[in-house]
Amino acid sequence: MMEYISIVFQPISLFTILLGTVAGVAIGGMPGLTATMAVGLLVPFTYTMDPTMGLMLLGGIYCGAMYGGSIPAILLNTPGTPAAVATAIEGFPMSQKGKAGLALKVSVVASFVGGSFSVLVLLLFAPLLAQQALKFGPAETFLLALMGLAGIISIADENSSLIKALIAGLLGMIIAVVGTDDMSGSLRYTMGYIELIDGIDFMPALIGLFSMIQMLELAGMRKKHEIDMSALHKKQKSEPMPKGITKHIALGSGTGTVIGVLPGEGATIAAFISYNISKRISRTKELFGKGNPEGIAAAESGNNGCVGGSLVPTLTLGIPGNSVAAALMGAFIIHGMIPGPDLFNEYADRTYPFIISLFIANLVFLGVGLTVAPYLAKIALIPPAILVPVVSAFAVLGSYALNNSVFDIYLMIAFAIFGLLLKKLNFSLEALILGLILGPIAEGGFTQGMIIGKGSPWIFFESPIAKIMWVIILLLLIPPLYSYFKHTSLLKTPDAET
Amino acid sequence: MKTGFTKLAILTTLFVSSLVFAGDYPSEPITVIVPSKAGGSTDRTARMLTEIAEKHNKGYEFVIKNIPGSGGQKGFEAINRAKPDGYTIGLVFTPQLVAHIASKRAKYNLDSFRILGNVAQDPAIVVVPKDSKIKNLGDLAKTAKENTLTVAVNGIGSDDFLAAKAFESKAGVTFNLLPTKGSTEQKAGILGGHVDAAFMNLSQMIAQHKAGDAHIIALLAKERSDKLPDMPTSKEQGYEVYMTATRGLVAPAKVDAATLDKLEAMFAKVMADDEFKAKATKGNIQLLPMTGKEYGEYLKGLQADTQAVYDKAPW
Repeated sequence: MMEYISIVFQPISLFTILLGTVAGVAIGGMPGLTATMAVGLLVPFTYTMDPTMGLMLLGGIYCGAMYGGSIPAILLNTPGTPAAVATAIEGFPMSQKGKAGLALKVSVVASFVGGSFSVLVLLLFAPLLAQQALKFGPAETFLLALMGLAGIISIADENSSLIKALIAGLLGMIIAVVGTDDMSGSLRYTMGYIELIDGIDFMPALIGLFSMIQMLELAGMRKKHEIDMSALHKKQKSEPMPKGITKHIALGSGTGTVIGVLPGEGATIAAFISYNISKRISRTKELFGKGNPEGIAAAESGNNGCVGGSLVPTLTLGIPGNSVAAALMGAFIIHGMIPGPDLFNEYADRTYPFIISLFIANLVFLGVGLTVAPYLAKIALIPPAILVPVVSAFAVLGSYALNNSVFDIYLMIAFAIFGLLLKKLNFSLEALILGLILGPIAEGGFTQGMIIGKGSPWIFFESPIAKIMWVIILLLLIPPLYSYFKHTSLLKTPDAET
Repeated sequence: MKTGFTKLAILTTLFVSSLVFAGDYPSEPITVIVPSKAGGSTDRTARMLTEIAEKHNKGYEFVIKNIPGSGGQKGFEAINRAKPDGYTIGLVFTPQLVAHIASKRAKYNLDSFRILGNVAQDPAIVVVPKDSKIKNLGDLAKTAKENTLTVAVNGIGSDDFLAAKAFESKAGVTFNLLPTKGSTEQKAGILGGHVDAAFMNLSQMIAQHKAGDAHIIALLAKERSDKLPDMPTSKEQGYEVYMTATRGLVAPAKVDAATLDKLEAMFAKVMADDEFKAKATKGNIQLLPMTGKEYGEYLKGLQADTQAVYDKAPW
């Protein structure tokens, strides 16, 4: 093991990791640029590089980008990745109160702990965990998506309109229906557009619904929103982490790692499930939605926990845990390192340094986050006259760059206009994006489960994992629904008397 | 006077550029459209090929442009729509190229392209979970007659799907077909024992087979593969079901024939290059050189077969 560590601590390796991670943070921070895209684009370039260095560079980008998404989410309410949507729900209100520095600090520390924990798990338990993950079939995937969708309820009681949040979630799922039906190959509502055959990409939707709308709202404000400046000038570096936050970071790290190990898009689900559970167990529930650092801690440790987790099945079985891991797998294959046991025997001198380098990458973004955060917090003070055009330009560029598609720009603008309307009517856009992302995962899991079960829905209740998941889903749904109905009936009773 | 001058200028430019065309091709970088994501196996094939081509042919420069999506259709359409000046070509893959024609979704047909030759292939395989009692294609057919077998394929209209359909009709069985979103889900299904069998491609499962996590029971080809020489083919096992995913070079049909002859000859040389062969082996890519004419014939045959499957059970 010592020789592997020494490979990582060569100056050239350290420099590569530093470069990758800092670039990753910047990429994750820009609307429209994602880790999947960055790793995918860089894979071909790494093939002229030394394999170990190439992998370290990509690993750094992956870790950095996962964290980077939270910075604009907190400062501008423009999450750079869908996994940072939950972070924005708590982070942006904190920014508006002038607590951006603290929010950024919580986010970077949580990301670091979640990321490091998951890499430790990857290093120590990868083969064992991968075997467990295999038991997770389409039926369980469906239940996992349901668990994520339960998050709509927790978004709802912020705005107190459960019905509107549910409608928004459903609307997201309806939009997700557009595209090819995977089970029959037939086209649904594509209206002859070849661009719609793959369905509506959630990135243009995310950029339109959050980045663009935020800019439209900023531009539409008559008076400049006053941010409490005094807090910004205080020494925020020395501001202590909020008490009792450790519990939420630990929760997120665990949840994120477990969900990351399972095949399928994990980070968004992990962030929302951690956020949701953390809200249930919090002593300060009432502060959720108004800027509770506990929510940021859970969501960020959750999505960074997916990094190490997603590499578990990727490296041991050749089954990528998510789309970034899939792109990374391409980099391994280019160098003739076919995922499987070979990686840990024949190519151990490349695989282990790569895994160890992920710890360094986590340390790098922790350092970057802590030193730069106080300066970044001032981004919130940039006048709209400058901020709006710059972010809007990035939004357009990012939408185009995803698939080299002009169609996606129109799609993004359409989402911005449509979303602004919904937002003014108090429908939750977070619920909509959750429906849009998780709808297809739920649909795939459900239809595949039904085919494997040969038409019997019993398959969704059969395995022990499924049973446990049903219990968690019910625990996530029943208490908030109970308190919601109790709350509304209390409100109604006095009306009835008068 | 002014207009006359402009006309003259335009004519001169046209004349000069056509001269440049015949003689100094290529005078600018050639864009290679890859209809899939960066980092995938088609993309890797294109990058290795162009890297060696640039190395040995002075004056040639290539730019890879990834246009992923819709089972390659976005990229195929883009090659068809490209300006026919010889500076845009593409690396296409089958059977998706012809499947889109069969399902009448494509705006192109095979005549839209000048076929420059095939580069690589990935033969189809049948794979079962490691503890499965099914050991060969005979077992598969027999078991499928006794019970309903759940069999995973990559989406509808893919090579796996067509191979599974072909096997169904040869063996006289009906599978409980499970379409997935790609090889990742198929691998998870086989390794986790959620499905009874899967039709996939060799490169996707060879590592898992060697590691003992899954068992490949047949290669759906006439000849064995160097990558897995012990694996009996479908022909040896008595089932005439063949499928392979090919990756070949095409250009828009309207491009000047002399230019394309030059390109075709150049790529044929690269394909024979030892350095290219070594790189391909290392990158888990199985080469299958075919001339433009051979590959064109192959595509026509494949289109007819695919059309037959589509007409019987459209998707």
